[in-house]
Amino acid sequence: MTEPAVAVRSLTKVFPIPFRRTKLVAVRGLDLEVAPGQVYGLLGPNGSGKSTTLKIILGLVSPTSGSTAIFGRDSREVGSREAVGFLPENPYFYKYLTGAETLRFYGKLCGLRGSALKNRVEELLHLVGLQDARDRRLGGYSKGMLQRIGLAQALLQEPRLVVLDEPTAGVDPAGSRDIRDLILDLKRRGITVLLSSHLLAQVQEICDRVGILAHGLLVREGRVEDLLAIEDQTELILQNATPEVLAQIAALVEKSPAQLLETRQPQTTLERLFLEATNNTEKK
Amino acid sequence: MKHRAFSPVRIAALTGNTFTELVRLKVFYFLLIFALLLIGSSIFMAQLSFQQEFQVLKDVSLGAMSIFTSLLAIVATAQLLPRDMEERTIYTILAKPVPRYEYLAGKLAGVLLLLLVSLLAMTAVFLAVLFVRQEMLASETLRQTTGLRPEQVQEAVRALKASAFSANLLPGIVVVYLKAALLASLTLFISTFATSNIFTIFVMVFIYFIGHLQATAREYWLQENSAGWIAKTFLALVALAFPDLQLFNLVDDIVAGTTIPNGLFAQTALLGCVYTSVYFFFAWVVFYGKEL
Ligand SMILES: Nc1ncnc2c1ncn2[C@@H]1O[C@H](COP(=O)(O)OP(=O)(O)OP(=O)(O)O)[C@@H](O)[C@H]1O
Ligand SMILES: [Mg+2]
Repeated sequence: MTEPAVAVRSLTKVFPIPFRRTKLVAVRGLDLEVAPGQVYGLLGPNGSGKSTTLKIILGLVSPTSGSTAIFGRDSREVGSREAVGFLPENPYFYKYLTGAETLRFYGKLCGLRGSALKNRVEELLHLVGLQDARDRRLGGYSKGMLQRIGLAQALLQEPRLVVLDEPTAGVDPAGSRDIRDLILDLKRRGITVLLSSHLLAQVQEICDRVGILAHGLLVREGRVEDLLAIEDQTELILQNATPEVLAQIAALVEKSPAQLLETRQPQTTLERLFLEATNNTEKK
Repeated sequence: MKHRAFSPVRIAALTGNTFTELVRLKVFYFLLIFALLLIGSSIFMAQLSFQQEFQVLKDVSLGAMSIFTSLLAIVATAQLLPRDMEERTIYTILAKPVPRYEYLAGKLAGVLLLLLVSLLAMTAVFLAVLFVRQEMLASETLRQTTGLRPEQVQEAVRALKASAFSANLLPGIVVVYLKAALLASLTLFISTFATSNIFTIFVMVFIYFIGHLQATAREYWLQENSAGWIAKTFLALVALAFPDLQLFNLVDDIVAGTTIPNGLFAQTALLGCVYTSVYFFFAWVVFYGKEL
């Protein structure tokens, strides 16, 4: 069996609440595995322990009990972070550095140097679409731009695992689609992605597997198709169907043991509408 | 690829980053300009005898250098960790393969570099002022002593130069630097567990004053009590919590023009390095297991 990219074993995290007797259990006995090459989505309402779990995996917070490992190396080892890129939620970077300086700084921390570092920085600025803002200080960046620089920073050392905490929070729909494409591209290149998100439509689109957390407990886990399939229903979508065709279909259904639950016109999603509208103004 | 537990490149990157952060803060320029003005203004001092003038000049300048570097060490260091934690930039750094001691070492080294640069700038201004005053006084002396024999004139100028530049200036400035380094390291330690940087600065100012007064207090206390082992342990603990900053005060010797013995200088320098390392070690111990 191949080694999992991320392994979480009976992980529990308890935060003491200062000046109170009670404690807050953020994660309870979590067991989780992400196979190499997979895109794994961690879902859950606010405060359900997603970010806490990710931080423990990155060794930023220590577990109360249980353990986590990245490619078989315990998260407490500094070396386990060699192969990982991390984008925290609402990332902030040093305001006094420019975009390019920021990437150079993080690149050096990953052991990149010289022309390799320089090329990689240019490549990533291009990838996240920040070439024009490269020499501006981050103090003047918008939220979405910070998110992009954060993403670039996470990809610097060509990691085998990328951990993204709400990668599309605060990013406009076009940017959010870019990030989705980027994740799919990572997946094509065999890079494992572990992400948390509230945007279910997007998660559904890109993730192979999801886990749903509630109050620190893993309440559902599995492949997206398996979790979503309604096995005894079928959807038909017709274009230019005349009323006669519809009537015939209805008659056919009537004669069969099946039931027609609903006939409706499919609606475009708000996302698609938004993208079309903003794209058009761009081109004018 | 095997992860390297210690990487000078990473520390250098963190050091450079800390230095940039501090330099791009406006408070730094404000303090530096203030100190430079103070030193520079000594050039317009009231007419005194030249010995007195040089004494006052050194007293004011070295005092300003000492207070400024100490203040800068405390203020600059106090906000480094709290800010990284508050703005969560620390997550992005420690999520890279960076051991926590490298992170701390980079922060401290950045402050030490800043202190070095500011102290060098102040030293340059100080020496320039000293040199200008010396030349001015020398030409004045030459004018006033037209009736004297050449040997006497030369003698007067030599005396003048000797009292302007003395060999003890350099060790004096090195010790000022070490004192600031010690304070920076102690501030870093306190900021690893302090709840706010105001608290850190407050505690450091307190330690600064106790540190300067404790030698006197200890002498007084030893007179009253016999020095048993309990007393000695107690004093050692006090000395650890409140470094004896008076030891790093060589300004009086320098102003008086007495030479600082090499032994005393070496001892003080060593003490400064030991204090700095011990506090850094404490900072690491607290920071190692800290929840971010
Ligand atoms: N450092 C901390 N100290 C105390 N409690 C904490 C700490 N960090 C997180 N918590 C608590 O742990 C619980 C889980 O928080 P976490 O940030 O993991 O949630 P989340 O699933 O990421 O939520 P969101 O969707 O809002 O980002 C919350 O109740 C939070 O208040
Ligand atoms: Mg979160």
